[in-house]
Amino acid sequence: MSAMAIVQAEQVHKIYDEGAVPVEALRGVSLTIAPGEFTVIAGPSGSGKTTLLNLLGALDVPTTGRVFFEGQDLSKLSRRERARLRLYKIGFVFQAYNLIPVLTALENVEFVLLLQGVPERERRRRALEVLEQLGIGELAHKRPHEMSGGQQQRVAVARAVVSRPRLILADEPTANLDSATGARLLDLMEQLNREQGVTFVFSSHDPQVIERGRRLLWLHDGRIEREERR
Amino acid sequence: MRLRDTIGLTRVAWRNLWRNRRRTLIVLSSVVVGVFVLVLFDTLNLGMVAQMLDNHLRLHVGHVQIHREGYHANPAVEQFFQDAATVQQQVATHPEVQAVAPRVLAHGLLSSAYNNGGVQLVGIVPEAESLVTFIAKQLVAGRYLHGEGREILIGERLARKLEVRLGDRVVAMAARPDGQIGSEVFRVAGLFRTVSADFDRTMAFIPIDQARALLGLPSDAAHELVLLLNDARQAETLKAHLQSALPDTLEVLTYRDIVPLLVMQRDLYAQMMYLIYLIIGVALIFGIINAMLMAVLERLPEFGVLRAIGMSEGRLFLLVSLESLLIGLLGTALGWGLSLPVYAYLAHHGLNLAAFSEALTAFGIGAVIYPRLTFRVVWNAWLIIPLVAWLGALYPAWRALHVEPVEAMRAV
Ligand SMILES: Nc1ncnc2c1ncn2[C@@H]1O[C@H](COP(=O)(O)OP(=O)(O)OP(=O)(O)O)[C@@H](O)[C@H]1O
Ligand SMILES: [Mg+2]
Repeated sequence: MSAMAIVQAEQVHKIYDEGAVPVEALRGVSLTIAPGEFTVIAGPSGSGKTTLLNLLGALDVPTTGRVFFEGQDLSKLSRRERARLRLYKIGFVFQAYNLIPVLTALENVEFVLLLQGVPERERRRRALEVLEQLGIGELAHKRPHEMSGGQQQRVAVARAVVSRPRLILADEPTANLDSATGARLLDLMEQLNREQGVTFVFSSHDPQVIERGRRLLWLHDGRIEREERR
Repeated sequence: MRLRDTIGLTRVAWRNLWRNRRRTLIVLSSVVVGVFVLVLFDTLNLGMVAQMLDNHLRLHVGHVQIHREGYHANPAVEQFFQDAATVQQQVATHPEVQAVAPRVLAHGLLSSAYNNGGVQLVGIVPEAESLVTFIAKQLVAGRYLHGEGREILIGERLARKLEVRLGDRVVAMAARPDGQIGSEVFRVAGLFRTVSADFDRTMAFIPIDQARALLGLPSDAAHELVLLLNDARQAETLKAHLQSALPDTLEVLTYRDIVPLLVMQRDLYAQMMYLIYLIIGVALIFGIINAMLMAVLERLPEFGVLRAIGMSEGRLFLLVSLESLLIGLLGTALGWGLSLPVYAYLAHHGLNLAAFSEALTAFGIGAVIYPRLTFRVVWNAWLIIPLVAWLGALYPAWRALHVEPVEAMRAV
């Protein structure tokens, strides 16, 4: 296990057997994510991208194999401990439903800090700072329904970075965006990666995301078929 | 830090409430109506029950009685005490005491030319008695006693039995402490009708001096001092005060000691109110469960995201609970806001149940009911209703807790 690794998967299998036929979504995946990476997990629909991301993000546990987060074996953590780990160490950007509809952009970003128990004044300051940094300060007092999809996703990125996590996982963040808007979202994340060294792992089958990845993992039928570095 | 989180979450919960305005308003109005009904029901019930007891006490018993030690256990004619006027003055100085009346009591026989009947002879000071009990107001014929003369007040029923009318003569006979039988002729001055048929059959009132003469008692003797207090609830404390202030040869009793069954009956009626709380609580809880469940189920993906970004189960539970609790608290506040003016109106004018007054009179309540607001009502409503709201959120909150973030977001 690399000392540098943020997260590491070892021979991970994931079998869903709630349905009539058990589905083996991952069939022996091993990978290591090091700090500062900008990695895309690419692959066709059903190849297991979301499943893998969920395992890396401590949202789920593998059927066999192990996932280590900063050297900590996730299967040894309770649900509560995994929630805590996510709260402090991992940021998420999902495809949809990212934001709490009743809260403004600023309040949504603050919410993570609220959960962390950060005092109100500091919460507000840090949230505003992040929104300004990401160039969406003018959205601070808008509610999700008053924003475009691209704006919402940028606020979701702001929420993901505000707690300064070790890792940000983004599951098809551009899936609901047109390509120009998607490109701007990617610019934003690249900038965070370049300037602040934030580590990103995406999943996508969107070519424009794939071409931006500095490391590319091709997933097919639950296996990593190919890896590229650029 | 916990509190700070809770304030932050409360803000979120509050906004969540208004996502589905219509649904929230429906549940909210059910809570408001529930509280409104409860408050008025409870205060009217308390008022009615208190009036019932009070009317019984004002019939004859009063709030506190003083006798010679042992009289209550064995009410014999020789168990009188002397210096009644002095004791009366001493008792009257206590600020809780509104009025005091002395009584001379004896079991006796009342005879007319046609019939006779056993009676409780009560020698009273008419003005003093009329300040303590309602007897002066319950005459249906004739007039109240007004002096020393040989006049008697009897119940309508007794008069019928003795076949006497106003102005007729009756002979009263009673055993005296010295073993002799005293007897005297009295003229019927008035007839009374109270809520109690038994009372109307067995009680006979004569001037206290006539009673003393009949029984051969000293001129300052009495069997009983009956006290009316400003507030019945002061009876126990006053009893304690009087017991230490008065000589040991006297006993002090409260109405609780004298008519424990009536007190029990009142408490029982008061307890019955909890049945109403239960019924309304059950009615409310299903509405709340239903609304909260809908609110939770349609937000499962959102809860999935919240869990994903690291919200703990405890906080998610708190969030859902707070939403329901806020409905409960807001509903209770509005329910109170609505019921207080009505309460104030009724407390001032009373609820006139003249239409049912016959039945009520039979219960000793009176036709006009005045609601009574006690701390217990306030406490009950503010405690029980929000609690019910919170209980209604338990199952929905449990559903929210068991959201697997991965599943919930996949369902989108
Ligand atoms: N909770 C689940 N229960 C049962 N089967 C599941 C579950 N989650 C995923 N699967 C199955 O596992 C396989 C991999 O799914 P996954 O969502 O990881 O793929 P994906 O690459 O993210 O696909 P997409 O591009 O459509 O999002 C699919 O066959 C899917 O149907
Ligand atoms: Mg997917």
